Amino acid sequence: MKNSRLIAVLLLLCLLSPLAAQGQAESGQQKEIELRWASIWVGNDSKAPAVEALVKEFNTKNAGKIKVVIEPQPDYNAYEQKVRTSLAAGQAPADIFTIKFNPTTATFYQSDLLMDFQGKLDDAWKSTFDAGSLEQSTVDGMLKSLPMETAILPIWYNMDALKSVGVNTIPATVQQMYDTFDKLKAAGIAPTSQMTGDTNAWTSMIWFSHFAVSLGGPNVWDKPFTDPAFVEAAKLIKKMIQEYSTADAVGLGAGGSGGHFLAGRTAVFSNGPWYAGRADLAATPFFDSIKIGGLPAVGEYEDIMISRLQANICAASSKDAAKEQAIVSFLKFLTSPSSIAKIAETSGAMFAIKTDYRPVNNLQKQFYDVNAAASTTAFDLEAALGSEVTLEFAQQLGALALDRISAEEFCALVDRKIEH
Amino acid sequence: MQAVGIRNRWIWSARILFLLPVALLFFFFFIYPFFFTVFTSFTSWRGIGAMKFNGIKNYTKLITDPTFQKALRNNIVWALSQGLIQVPLACLVAMILVRKPFGWRGLRTIYYLPNVISTVALAMVWVAIYNVDGPLNAILSGLFGMEKHNWLGNPDTALFAVIFQTVIYIGYFMIVLLASAMNIPRSLYEAAEIDGASTLVQEINITLPMLRGTLITTMTLAMAYGMRHFEATFLMTGGGPAYATTTMGIDLYLKMDALRYSEASTSGVFLIIMGTLVITLLRKLFGSSDPMSEMAQ
Repeated sequence: MKNSRLIAVLLLLCLLSPLAAQGQAESGQQKEIELRWASIWVGNDSKAPAVEALVKEFNTKNAGKIKVVIEPQPDYNAYEQKVRTSLAAGQAPADIFTIKFNPTTATFYQSDLLMDFQGKLDDAWKSTFDAGSLEQSTVDGMLKSLPMETAILPIWYNMDALKSVGVNTIPATVQQMYDTFDKLKAAGIAPTSQMTGDTNAWTSMIWFSHFAVSLGGPNVWDKPFTDPAFVEAAKLIKKMIQEYSTADAVGLGAGGSGGHFLAGRTAVFSNGPWYAGRADLAATPFFDSIKIGGLPAVGEYEDIMISRLQANICAASSKDAAKEQAIVSFLKFLTSPSSIAKIAETSGAMFAIKTDYRPVNNLQKQFYDVNAAASTTAFDLEAALGSEVTLEFAQQLGALALDRISAEEFCALVDRKIEH
Repeated sequence: MQAVGIRNRWIWSARILFLLPVALLFFFFFIYPFFFTVFTSFTSWRGIGAMKFNGIKNYTKLITDPTFQKALRNNIVWALSQGLIQVPLACLVAMILVRKPFGWRGLRTIYYLPNVISTVALAMVWVAIYNVDGPLNAILSGLFGMEKHNWLGNPDTALFAVIFQTVIYIGYFMIVLLASAMNIPRSLYEAAEIDGASTLVQEINITLPMLRGTLITTMTLAMAYGMRHFEATFLMTGGGPAYATTTMGIDLYLKMDALRYSEASTSGVFLIIMGTLVITLLRKLFGSSDPMSEMAQ
């Protein structure tokens, strides 16, 4: 028995010795801090090449001290799930990660796992950010995510299609808009790409946001959803889906909605600047004719552009001061105007960090011009009211478009999902 | 005596050692999550921050929620469609194939083929089929002059359109029933033939009674699947339009998506209760499928 115990102890030692050796090796190389970045800007994403180059540049500059390792997250939905479940399980998804900031994800601010940048943001660093975006990202005095990518959500016009029916400019008035749409319809082209599918009825949600903000002003989202501005906006979006869209709009997803525009089946579309970098868009015969603009004001508020914080960057809090410092160093580098200019140059994306960069690509340039021309910006429905309200909006939009419920009922149903 | 005692101790130690990995996995991946789900269903918790006990508030909210009521109704329709349409269809095909008609091996493969194709691919194919400008509308309009219909976009047809594309894939249950039917002794059919029984009479009086156990098992599996259905609907309609196709599984997922973890847990507990109820009800209605217990009776 004694012999067998001795053998067992020896076997255990043999098994554990490599682990001990590993521990020694790691403690001997404690100088370099490794930061894991769960990045969505990988693979086919238009920001991927610039981001990868920047990480390489940072790692070279900080060789032996800090090393940033990108953990690719190519599937955005799976990535969002990872962030949610990791935080719920009491773990940060990575040292650095991004979120789409809205009232739902603002819940993450309650977690101690996230670093509060409020104390880290010195005046010089703070001055590089757009003040409005910083304010929008602050919850109860905490700044647990830094605004990085922003987006405006304008309307896209295929001018080749419009010109084919004798319209040479973007409609400036509501009457011109309806006249243009009627002409397109008569020519067999579905005027707009509407949809009620997915969890946010994306393109129609953008149209609805334009209508609501024009009718109720930039602070319309603070009002109850039963407000006349929303009821009127609901009537308008219903008209768009019923009369001026494709027959499959009810139940259609974003892929289908975009597909109709790319195939030339619809003439007017809505999406953010990231769509401008798509290869299939560049391959369309009407690519050079695309004009970006707003919708004619349907209410008393004019020239308001719909916008959102597309990606806010978060970091894991750490008891290790050196690690926190390393994270701040990297984020300062990543959000510096020169780094942001490099990412913007290759992707055409828009950022909450002020840079001198101005795109040369015609389509990307239009986004900057439209943004600059807007008197002010206002959030879209999802950015303003969160994912649960947007889901209800999407689900009930189908019922509204099919005349199952009235505009008033639609607004009341969406309103019950808002936490007043 | 001492040697026997040591041997017994060794045997027990070995048994525990062998069982331990599975027991640990079962505990961490089933027992613990189950009790955690039940516990959180009685709290107010958004996945982050402290949990606050709120009694049965989540349950009363769930039961009175019109979306959940729709989801429950849809799950019952799913369970009934799978148990009362898919399984009988599979049984019918198995009964035909067991008689080994010409090309039966090829037909068996064809029927089973959709089961090896990914649900995502099948769902995408059916989304295209059901599209307003898709082949289904083209056929119906060509043959009967019917107007184009938005099958997945209309609340009246969306649920049945999604169920149809699942129910027709009978391959899995057909294979199970076919394997069982092939084990029925040929002598029973030969004796029936000598007595002058027609094929239909043979099927009713020999095949179906002999398949009873397998039929109950497949029906239980099909209906249990119907109660927890998620994938195809989520991919094809996302639960819409106007929650017309939402199931309890989708409702749970969407609650998690909105960071309503405790409410999602309540849906989860309800889902488990409903699943257990369906299985118990089937057992009560049709009796046990266990041949051993049947023999004992």
